[in-house]
Amino acid sequence: MSTEIFRIRNFCIVAHIDHGKSTLADRMLELTHTVDQRAMRAQYLDRMDLERERGITIKAQAVRLLHEGYELNLIDTPGHVDFTYEVSRSLAACEGAILLVDAAQGLEAQTLANYHLARDAGLTIVPAINKIDLPAAEPEQRAEELARLLGADPAEILHVSAKTGEGVDDVLKAVIDRVPHPGGDLHAPLQALIFDSAFDTYRGVITYIRVKQGTLPSNAKIKMLATHVTSEAEETGVMAPEATPVDSLGPGEVGYLVTGLKDVHHAKVGDTITLAGKQGAAVPLPGYREPKPMVWSGLYPADGNDYSALREALDRLKLSDSALVYEPETSQALGFGFRVGFLGLLHMDIVRERLEREFDLQLISTAPNVEFHVFRGAEEIVVHNPAEMPPGGDYDRVEEPVIYATIITPATYLGAIFELCQARRGEMVDMEYLTPERVEVHYLLPLAEVVFDFFDQLKSKTRGFASLDYEPWGLQEAKLVRVDILLHGEPVDAFSSVVHRDKAYEYGKKMTERLKELIPRQLFDVAIQASIGSKVIARETVKAKRKDVLAKCYGGDITRKRKLLETQKKGKERMRRVGKVDVPQDAFIAALRVDEGAKKK
Amino acid sequence: MSAPGGIYVHIPFCLTRCGYCDFNAYAGLEGLRPRYLAALFREADLAAPAWVGTEFVSVFLGGGTPTTMEPADLRALLSHLRERFEMVPDTEVTIEANPDTVTEASLSRLLEAGFARLSIGAQSFDPAVLRSLERIHQPTSVRAAVAAARRAGFPNLSLDLIYGANGESLGSWRRTLDETLALGPEHVSAYALTIEPATALGRQVAAGQVPGPDPDLQADMFLLACEVLGDAGYAHYEISNWARPGFECVHNLGYWERRPYVGLGAGAHAYRDDVRWWNVRPPETYMEKVESGELPIGGSESLDPSDAYLEEVFLKLRILQGVPASWFDAGRYEPYLQSGLLVDDFGQLVPTERGMLLLNELVLGLTAG
Repeated sequence: MSTEIFRIRNFCIVAHIDHGKSTLADRMLELTHTVDQRAMRAQYLDRMDLERERGITIKAQAVRLLHEGYELNLIDTPGHVDFTYEVSRSLAACEGAILLVDAAQGLEAQTLANYHLARDAGLTIVPAINKIDLPAAEPEQRAEELARLLGADPAEILHVSAKTGEGVDDVLKAVIDRVPHPGGDLHAPLQALIFDSAFDTYRGVITYIRVKQGTLPSNAKIKMLATHVTSEAEETGVMAPEATPVDSLGPGEVGYLVTGLKDVHHAKVGDTITLAGKQGAAVPLPGYREPKPMVWSGLYPADGNDYSALREALDRLKLSDSALVYEPETSQALGFGFRVGFLGLLHMDIVRERLEREFDLQLISTAPNVEFHVFRGAEEIVVHNPAEMPPGGDYDRVEEPVIYATIITPATYLGAIFELCQARRGEMVDMEYLTPERVEVHYLLPLAEVVFDFFDQLKSKTRGFASLDYEPWGLQEAKLVRVDILLHGEPVDAFSSVVHRDKAYEYGKKMTERLKELIPRQLFDVAIQASIGSKVIARETVKAKRKDVLAKCYGGDITRKRKLLETQKKGKERMRRVGKVDVPQDAFIAALRVDEGAKKK
Repeated sequence: MSAPGGIYVHIPFCLTRCGYCDFNAYAGLEGLRPRYLAALFREADLAAPAWVGTEFVSVFLGGGTPTTMEPADLRALLSHLRERFEMVPDTEVTIEANPDTVTEASLSRLLEAGFARLSIGAQSFDPAVLRSLERIHQPTSVRAAVAAARRAGFPNLSLDLIYGANGESLGSWRRTLDETLALGPEHVSAYALTIEPATALGRQVAAGQVPGPDPDLQADMFLLACEVLGDAGYAHYEISNWARPGFECVHNLGYWERRPYVGLGAGAHAYRDDVRWWNVRPPETYMEKVESGELPIGGSESLDPSDAYLEEVFLKLRILQGVPASWFDAGRYEPYLQSGLLVDDFGQLVPTERGMLLLNELVLGLTAG
């Protein structure tokens, strides 16, 4: 039978990457004997290989801890800016949040942003300073900083070393004492929030849920209120931390549901599960949102024969990644591929890496771009591929997505940050000193500029000390132009880019110079031009090749020479033709790499 | 009766090893010479039965530096080959020589022995270029060697040249060509320096210590050679070879015309009827195999029709003979006729001078799948 509701605590840990969230979770698993000492391993809850290597958590997961007669549900939250919406849904499943801050590094932008989300969601905050065992730790200063931010007494701030286990017991005690127990009517129509979903090859779609009202029995006939899909659920259970079936989940409880569905798009994060038929709820829980791709990129198989393999791989990935969208696309230069939409740059990296690793594909990806809205008369065109943008001036205006960026930095780097944001067409909103040494700055920035290695620049200009978080802000008109790159008069669609008018020349010059180094000499002079519409803004020339032959060819040279020709022949067959010009695939990869955006550490 | 054949004999000994050279050649192995000579005799005995019925029109002693061997030994070797293989009366017999390894006396003995064609490794008349190539001789020793050969009575001399070494200018190359003409050889071979990765020079270029040849400058040097040698009455009969009429190298033409050839000695290649095979490269291994009465074959390949076709095209395009236009769709070669890389010589496609420089491109373009 379910635990009495006043003995349940649902909480999450809000922390920056590397501030010790997973380690704290490990200690809690040990302290509550949820995981056997022998079975324990580091970062226990981060299941996927990919997560473990990157040191981040992508999939939220809930684990049930039993401690001193209480049922503590630890709900893991994704720790990255790409997944803000997922974070908000995980928070909606909790009544409390541990705000965990590294004693040496202090508060970071993402943590602050997630703290705001948690506070706005009405969660009780349990602040804690972690890594107090570190020599560089400044727990008192961090505690003061945190206390000021929270408007709290520094005495309320817990001091923890997740590594040694010091103070972890106090954290659990604080969760029990300070976080309110959930509410909810046992007899009301069922409303269960989906805060995460996953796809299992054998069991289909599994959702992680928080029951808000009513009771969810095992094997219920269920209905999703946003997608209107119904299904025969197969199992309800809790993670303890391994999946453990239960008879039912009552109000305030957290667990999983094997939905019987085969497609994650039918059970989306934020949707509400109820019972099918008359006893079901009519009204969904608030806050549901369709996942919205922010960053787009063309993905092409390096070997054209792999197109159908790429399609199958994307179809498979989509089963477990409801945020992934894609549509077929043809490029003259790169052949058949897909335009793929991602939540952000990290999401893009993860998808690309999974495609390459799990499906053994070699991919060429175009430089990431954002979505542009082009207005012409009464018509609005949404452009996901720069090559689709109408050429120079053939429209009334263009709008681009803008983000609201939160940057937290040591005050000494403020100048560098102003400079960077200004160069990226940023507009400062406000600035606040968190402490005399640490500043929180808000900027409105075009997302397109952030996609362009902004994060790397921010890190290098502040020696890694500044942190960034952002949320979508809306659309804004901008003087944007499409810059095309032409080889011998033929535009190469894969190299087209939409950039601000003031940066068009810089982009054109960089691309033409780069391509000059990458394109092998042909039998004729090859002009490499950058143009806006019909106006050429930069030009380079690859001079015609004049000599390629081996000087001598006698009896002992013939075999080697023939093999060399065969190799060259194969190389030539693998080349992509743009008009009359042969371009090696490596040249595409290398040229596109120049503009590859921010790689997250 | 099969096509007339050639015999190649490899002598792997050199006085020093040059930085650019990737031939199967060794300095400091002179002590092996008597044993190596005996092995060549023995290999000829082992190989000859398979060649009964083939008539040979050429013998070529290459290396290495064949003139590091004693003239008496070379004479005995040639006599032995004449006994084992069927040769026509006017068989062309060539020996390669480095300028510092010959004297009038040694050359007289070689001519007497039947080596009537002498190919001298001159490489350059610019001392700086010779140093850059790590050649040990001086321009004067080339002049001396040619004079000695003429005094000895050699009727057929060839000079080997290399252009495009580090530091060589177009002007320097012109002087080398002029000096060459002044010596009046019957035949000239001029090679664009090619950087082979597995050589000392190749490693220096890869490490960025020495600049690699500038292909555009080499193209200009090639065109200059075409002009200077052409004006002097030499026929450009293969990409890297020029000769006064009647002095084209019969033996080398055999490679490009795809006639059969025997290869004797360490690493030597042989070919007949779309099969090619080659001897083991290390002299020691070569000798051991031969001494145990075994043909010293290190590898072989059988050309399938597409291999044979590719060889036919790229070898015959090297010489004036060219390839029949009827082998290709007109769409394949017409752009090259228009751009002046090929000419149509009564139905044979023959590369122009510019076409010779871009022969790989032509071969790939004509034979593309």
